[in-house]
Amino acid sequence: MAALPERGGRVLLERGARGVSETWERATAASTPESAPRLIALGGGKGGVGKTFLAANLSAILAHAGARVIAVDTDVEGANLHTWLGVAQPRASLADFVAGRVQDPLDLVIATPTPNLGLIAGTHGNLAASQPEPSRRLELLQRLRRLPCDFVFVDCGAGAHAATIDYFLVGDDGVLVVHPEPTSLENAYSFLRAAFYRRMQLVMQKHDVRERVREAMDQRNTRGIQTPLDLLREVETMDPEEGRRFAKSMRSFRPRIVVNEVESADEIKLGFSVRSVCRKFFGIEADYIGYVNRDPAVREAVLAKRPLVDVKPKSDAAVYLQRIARKLAEAAKGKRAR
Amino acid sequence: MTIPDLDHYELLELERDASHEEVERAYRMARATWAEDALAAYSVATEAELTALRERVEVAYRVLSDVDARSAYDAALGRLRPPEPDEPDLGLDEEEEKEELAPAELPAEIAAFDDLSGPEDGRWTGPALRRTRLARGLELDQINAITKVNPLYLASIEEERFDALPAAVYVRGFVSAYARCLGLDAGRVANDILERLTAVRPDRGLRRKKP
Repeated sequence: MAALPERGGRVLLERGARGVSETWERATAASTPESAPRLIALGGGKGGVGKTFLAANLSAILAHAGARVIAVDTDVEGANLHTWLGVAQPRASLADFVAGRVQDPLDLVIATPTPNLGLIAGTHGNLAASQPEPSRRLELLQRLRRLPCDFVFVDCGAGAHAATIDYFLVGDDGVLVVHPEPTSLENAYSFLRAAFYRRMQLVMQKHDVRERVREAMDQRNTRGIQTPLDLLREVETMDPEEGRRFAKSMRSFRPRIVVNEVESADEIKLGFSVRSVCRKFFGIEADYIGYVNRDPAVREAVLAKRPLVDVKPKSDAAVYLQRIARKLAEAAKGKRAR
Repeated sequence: MTIPDLDHYELLELERDASHEEVERAYRMARATWAEDALAAYSVATEAELTALRERVEVAYRVLSDVDARSAYDAALGRLRPPEPDEPDLGLDEEEEKEELAPAELPAEIAAFDDLSGPEDGRWTGPALRRTRLARGLELDQINAITKVNPLYLASIEEERFDALPAAVYVRGFVSAYARCLGLDAGRVANDILERLTAVRPDRGLRRKKP
């Protein structure tokens, strides 16, 4: 049995709001210990676009606002969420769950210097088997949903591994982080496509339709299926009932776009253009929920090994992060109210 | 791949009752999105698709920006495309499965999708001015073109590098011009910024010469 964190998750997550502004109070008021946490996953395909930065800071902002938050680093091959959150050497990590040494992810929650914010780190993974097997992954996702907190932030890591995509898909909000550069957009679209097809493969019930989805995942497929819209047409032709199921599932796939490190008004507008591309080329509705500017304060924060919003709460980037966090909190509140 | 057979409104992502101003903004946004070498379409759209989209955007704009042409188009649209479009039914008119977050009503108007302008705590700062400028979709050189204030000074105001700025009396003029350009209360913005300047720089009028 691996050494458990000094403060177990159950101790950490005692409710303790402090310094909560009225806005934030409203935003988080709907969260009750009985309700399932809002799960927010951050993905984007490419490494270095700011997924971990956003996960750390959005978690910290909501924690400061009085919500109980757990940040989960699923990027076991390149874990550093713990560093952003000021935890130098996590005593426990997701690797303990993957290896079967720990059964309940709650036992992996480590306290961070930010009040109300717990961490499930992604360090010291077994490089030979870094991600859990599918059944174990399902168990992990189900258990994350039962964590006794208001928000779970999942840092999905780079790439489009099935595990990475599953973490993204299971989120109530799947936040797609992009940089205003071609390499990032290229990977982000690949990631979206992969996520979409995987979702459809899981949702479709008939074997031949699932096979067609699998076929479509090959970009060089002989049927000329290039986009989710093409695939929808194909599925509708094959089986109207599955077509309806497909369309329904398509509606609930609604990524939230964040453009990180913008430097100009044109780069800010990029988020709207990405939304248009998603709509016209993929038939996917996405929301552009905000942007964060390039700010030298971010470097200061990473050198201080703490969230930017803790180190430089008045910095420009922190202001933008606050606004994104507020939107996510309001969405969570809306969901709980329904 | 083929872009679905969208009508002019769908192409420009507009509601049927969009105002003339909204049509203009949507047109500018669409032009930027589907421009040659458009960043957003990178790896997704071919050159031919982008060209086709641009042509369709031009046609849509010509129709929707002309009152008579638009009326005729609306009438034809009502006749030709009543309830069922000739496209796969995405069921998008049904209840949304996943909630929309802070809807972006007008693609080209950043300010309209989010309250990203204005000071955080009621006081104007350099960064707040920059955020407002960006939220209005303006670059510094555009502010310079209107105000004739040196862009280096404008950047220094935004970054609050007060040592790089001339005497306070000039700074007040620069800030006022900048604020007016953004449609802000010039007097209030200038007062707030000057207060910040004088807090870190001893001069209150003309810059003192070093002894």
